[in-house]
Amino acid sequence: MTQEQLIEELKKLLDEGKVRTDNDALQTFGKDWTKIHEPKPIAIVFPKSTEQVQAIVKFANEHNIGLVPSGGRTGLSAGAVATNGEIVVSFDYMNQILEFSGSDRTVRCQAGVVTEQLQNYAEEQGLYYPVDFASAGSSQLGGNISTNAGGIKVIRYGMSRDWVLGLKVVTGNGDILELNKDLEKNNTGYDIRHLFIGAEGTLGFITEATMKLTRQPTNLTVLVLGLADLDNTMNVLQTFQQKIDLTAYEFFSHQAMGHVLAHGDVPAPFEGEAPYYALLEFEAISDGVMDDAMALFEKCVEEGWVVDGVISQSETQAQNLWRLREGISESIAPHTPYKNDISVVVSKVPEFLQEIDAVVTEHYPDFEIIWFGHIGDGNLHLNILKPSDLPKEEFFEKCLQVNKWVFQIVEKYNGSVSAEHGVGLTKKDYLSYTRSPTEIEYMKGIKRVFDPKNIMNPGKVIDL
Amino acid sequence: MKVLVAVKRVIDYNVKARVKPDNTGVDLTNVKMAMNPFCEIAVEEAVRLKEKGVASEIVVVSIGPKVAQEQIRTSLALGADRGILIETDEEVQSLDAAKLLKAVFEKEQPNLVILGKQSIDSDNNQTGQMLAALTGMPQGTFASEVAVEGDKVNVTREIDGGLVTVALNTPAVITTDLRLNEPRYASLPNIMKAKKKPLELTSPADLGVELKPSLTTLKVEEPATRQAGIKVADVAELVDKLKNEAKVI
Ligand SMILES: Cc1cc2nc3c(=O)[nH]c(=O)nc-3n(C[C@H](O)[C@H](O)[C@H](O)COP(=O)(O)OP(=O)(O)OC[C@H]3O[C@@H](n4cnc5c(N)ncnc54)[C@H](O)[C@@H]3O)c2cc1C
Repeated sequence: MTQEQLIEELKKLLDEGKVRTDNDALQTFGKDWTKIHEPKPIAIVFPKSTEQVQAIVKFANEHNIGLVPSGGRTGLSAGAVATNGEIVVSFDYMNQILEFSGSDRTVRCQAGVVTEQLQNYAEEQGLYYPVDFASAGSSQLGGNISTNAGGIKVIRYGMSRDWVLGLKVVTGNGDILELNKDLEKNNTGYDIRHLFIGAEGTLGFITEATMKLTRQPTNLTVLVLGLADLDNTMNVLQTFQQKIDLTAYEFFSHQAMGHVLAHGDVPAPFEGEAPYYALLEFEAISDGVMDDAMALFEKCVEEGWVVDGVISQSETQAQNLWRLREGISESIAPHTPYKNDISVVVSKVPEFLQEIDAVVTEHYPDFEIIWFGHIGDGNLHLNILKPSDLPKEEFFEKCLQVNKWVFQIVEKYNGSVSAEHGVGLTKKDYLSYTRSPTEIEYMKGIKRVFDPKNIMNPGKVIDL
Repeated sequence: MKVLVAVKRVIDYNVKARVKPDNTGVDLTNVKMAMNPFCEIAVEEAVRLKEKGVASEIVVVSIGPKVAQEQIRTSLALGADRGILIETDEEVQSLDAAKLLKAVFEKEQPNLVILGKQSIDSDNNQTGQMLAALTGMPQGTFASEVAVEGDKVNVTREIDGGLVTVALNTPAVITTDLRLNEPRYASLPNIMKAKKKPLELTSPADLGVELKPSLTTLKVEEPATRQAGIKVADVAELVDKLKNEAKVI
């Protein structure tokens, strides 16, 4: 069958106009946020129902064509990237909120519902969907679940995984499965739902998800503290955690904040500067909590860990302080950053950070290094910015060389080469720094069960 | 020079206001309250005048319930020297607010009174003007720039179609517009210091003012919800709808 005939056959499976082969669509939907790889899909399809997705999977099995699931395309590990003549399956037209249950505090959504759409919907019901990060305005629930996205509230609310009660999936075999029946408790053997969470579309498609909601937080208040030294971040965290349940604990370097401030519309937290900053958020439910926060701040100053600090006095100020942290990714994007997203257990963060920082500064003396991250979860984002006069290929080449050093330290500390962004293409070669060879063999075995013909996002996470 | 700044506690700018089920007003139970944004700008301007050595003392006054002390404490943390709360749980309309401020003005004898151009809860834009009228002070409203020269103050005002600068003799009333300055955050060390600054409690009765609302609210309603947009199939349908439904062409 020629490619033209194939496309004609494909069109029969979808609604009119929902198969696109124009170059614009191929370029746009063929890649995610990484933009490293040249997109080369043969078509982009937009199913409207689980049954259409199933038909596409059966078609791909029959004709041996790879399928790339595509959500909001904000992924940072080249998971939703088609480089090899695949069909991209976009969930843009499966964006309906299907059912809400106030007494169960659950909401059933199609996979293409945008994260922010779910957050807003929850708020309208007087509830809260706590998974949140800077790309929430574009990322989709299907993508969030497939990458088990974390974000800025993990310290209190956990990862996407913790909010999924039920999934409807189409496996690589073309079977439709309803996983876990939205039950809070269901100990009936292997929980297949959890295999699909974080699978990056390599086992099948998620078409619907039932998500848990929770009560809305009260009076979220933000502190931004200037830290005297990198080592102080953990002392400050532990000091506050002894008395207050934090809903966020983020950190960023002065350079990182500099990029956000250079964009113009956010004010600096205070006049003086500090080498590192911590952003803390908590529910100021009573005057008592506020008094505690003040006393803890005083202690941190007395210990010499903190040099200055501000506290939000209104929602607007809270939002502006958050933008100092949330604006970083976007403000450094023009510098084609090379990103590493690494983690260790919280107690090892200071040593780990020092060691990585030393290696990176030694090997990249001419590169600007931007540190930030969800440090309360032991998660650090290391960003290396491309000098404007260095060609992109040469820059990435150099970054890859140093990856080895960084990942050896990760391995030594029993850490992860990808804390929350997933593996996709960018971290595939480094999987063995975190997963043992035997474990990787088991992963391949699992993949073969659900997707024997390797049509689901082939080449991502692992090679068969 | 002594500066008096008026600040108001209002529903937080970022909170979606909800109407009470009986339509008598906006539901404020468990709603986040904050300083009116235009008042934040007023405080910031006074603090800048003090930093420039122009102002020697900043007194902050608020009218409202006991909890409005929070907004006064914030102002003290931002750099004001002392606070006055005129405590009342009654509704305070613009004219009554102006009368109360006049009483404080007479007691404190400041050279400058800075207020927000309006508060975002009732959006009246009246108190500053009424205060000027009651006291006979000159007024510079909608200020986007304030420059003190001796006992004169030059106020650049935002008006339809541009800017106008007025020179006022002090004492004078200034109301702030959005572009006057960008307010700073209250720093934690300053918040702690502010706890020790004096805050005087008084009441309308102490100031000899009887609150007499001159307006009665009949009903408060949600704004009409906007209709969802539709997609048209082609230009012909669009033109037809514009002509026959929207009646704009
Ligand atoms: C500015 C910025 C900030 C970010 N911050 C964070 C952060 O704090 N924490 C964090 O965890 N991530 C963060 N990310 C990464 C990214 O936003 C998340 O990983 C997000 O969950 C990806 O969702 P998406 O819909 O865009 O997925 P995509 O990029 O479209 O896809 C991600 C993966 O999921 C697969 N997939 C998508 N939809 C489906 C489906 N329906 N069924 C099966 N597989 C599917 C894709 O094939 C791909 O492998 C950030 C990204 C940006 C650009």
